[in-house]
Amino acid sequence: MEEKNIYQPHLMEIIKIIVETGDTKTFHIQFLDEKLRENFHYLAGQFGEYSVFGEGEATFCISSSPTRRGHLEFSVKKVGRVTQALHQLNEGDLIGFRGPYGNFFPLEKFKGKNLLFIGGGIGLAPLRSLINNVVDTRADYRDITILYGARTPQDLCFKYDLEAWSKDPSLQLVTTVDVGDKDWKGKVGLVPIVLEELQPSPQNAVAITCGPPIMIRYTLRALDKLGFAPDQVWTTLEMKMKCGLGKCGRCNIGPLYVCQDGPVFSLDEIQKFISDEF
Amino acid sequence: MFFKINQGKFKEWLLALKNQGEVYIPTKENNLWVYALLERQEWPAYFLNTRIPVKNLFFPNRQALLSWKYEPGSMGMNSFVPEGKKRLIVGLRPCDSRSLQLLKPVFAGEYADIFYLKNLDRTILIGLACSQICPGSFCREMQVDPQDSADNDIFLRATPEGFVAKVITERGKGLLAQGFFAEAGENDWAAAAQEMPGRDALFDLEIVKANLNSFFAQEEFWQKVSAKCLNCGICTYLCPTCHCFDICDLRTPEKGVRFRCYDSCAFPNFTKMAVHNPRAEKWRRYRQRVSHKFNFFFQNFQAIACVGCGRCVNFCPVNLDLREILTAIH
Repeated sequence: MEEKNIYQPHLMEIIKIIVETGDTKTFHIQFLDEKLRENFHYLAGQFGEYSVFGEGEATFCISSSPTRRGHLEFSVKKVGRVTQALHQLNEGDLIGFRGPYGNFFPLEKFKGKNLLFIGGGIGLAPLRSLINNVVDTRADYRDITILYGARTPQDLCFKYDLEAWSKDPSLQLVTTVDVGDKDWKGKVGLVPIVLEELQPSPQNAVAITCGPPIMIRYTLRALDKLGFAPDQVWTTLEMKMKCGLGKCGRCNIGPLYVCQDGPVFSLDEIQKFISDEF
Repeated sequence: MFFKINQGKFKEWLLALKNQGEVYIPTKENNLWVYALLERQEWPAYFLNTRIPVKNLFFPNRQALLSWKYEPGSMGMNSFVPEGKKRLIVGLRPCDSRSLQLLKPVFAGEYADIFYLKNLDRTILIGLACSQICPGSFCREMQVDPQDSADNDIFLRATPEGFVAKVITERGKGLLAQGFFAEAGENDWAAAAQEMPGRDALFDLEIVKANLNSFFAQEEFWQKVSAKCLNCGICTYLCPTCHCFDICDLRTPEKGVRFRCYDSCAFPNFTKMAVHNPRAEKWRRYRQRVSHKFNFFFQNFQAIACVGCGRCVNFCPVNLDLREILTAIH
């Protein structure tokens, strides 16, 4: 019988910490094991279990693009025990990492299509893995539009990405905030409303959305109004997880385990869920 | 293949089994039945079933997974290797033996949980036919035969003289070839079957299975049946097939242990996340428990995650009776 302990994390060193907003940080981490650094592969949309030893494990997506190798990035909003402990850490500190787990965005299906990304707040984290992935393989896709919203300009995450995307002539970036300030040059309004104003065409397009549950709910309605069919709409779902391996029994939606069958689902699949418990 | 043994020889055999590994037998401790290491205690003249299911010896409530220790400039991590010592459990009831096999696909698969699988691998199961139907139980409705079980290595039926044994696996056969048992025949086996007190089946499992999907959306039904639930979680802790767990850390400043412990879908914070909780309402949690066992588990593993042992019925502090809910769904 194989002796591998599936709950044992790999040790990773925090090599960089970026303060995104007042309560959100992005961590750049690197495997201590050099062989793993070379051999670790994942796909956009997958997640990991990150641990602060002594405080526990928590689930976050890998927010860096698989095309940008060398280290992993993940972003954490300070809300609970593990996330607060993560926020206390410094560059050079060690954390545990298990993964990659779960499914991923079906990039093969997105090839040759217009891509519409709709993100809200920290929900940009899984999308940014995918966005930077398609930016690095730009020729495979047609028009790319990114709509990103946050409560206030200070709550926008990944400002360095936003800046890079805004300078990229092959991308259209629209940012919006619920409440602007005197320096704000983007749009003001909730993401689903701005989305309707943008009037993106569903023709040969896919929409990929992630954000707070309430934003996702209204965004899905807006996309429906715009003529996007359920199989053109993709999202990644958040559920409480402990093992990430389909065993601990809490992330299920009906018979599906978000950790194994997800976290990436098409709206088409979601509409067939027996349960609305997500 | 059948064998028989008288009571005196049976006691000698149990002691001889200790040469094979740790032997566990039903034992009364603190007025509760448990499977305890065979030391000086006698084989019980009468016992129904243990309060805590045998799953506890395979999937314990506290299982250390790994430990770590900070050293100057580095950190050492140590993965706990599951124990490999052979053990034998004698006296398992058919419901509990079934539960051990039901849990196997959960812990096997692409990510194999060696802690559970190794425990299963290192344990010889010697089941025992029931002499009574336990309070609250509905094993026969759940297609568990109190008089027979294929989920063990050896299965015993008690007779006035001793036991008749049915050999189920090769490793079970090895244990009987030791001079304690005499050969027996099919007729001995059949004669040792005990008449179980009859009662009409409460429900037909096939009909319950067929109706569960349509019942899922009936919010009022779930609100009604879960109204008196206290969210105490005793049904999940005593359930032989409940396997939901939490992973926690225990630490001192320089070292610590990561362990897993039972968790319960009855607890409001089981699915609580930063922003929302998809099962914040009690009726959703109770619906989850019933649906997981009788519907979702079946969809994933083609088996129902309930053996009808009746512990959840018998030990619920508010007499919430799963049998009534299944009968209503029927």
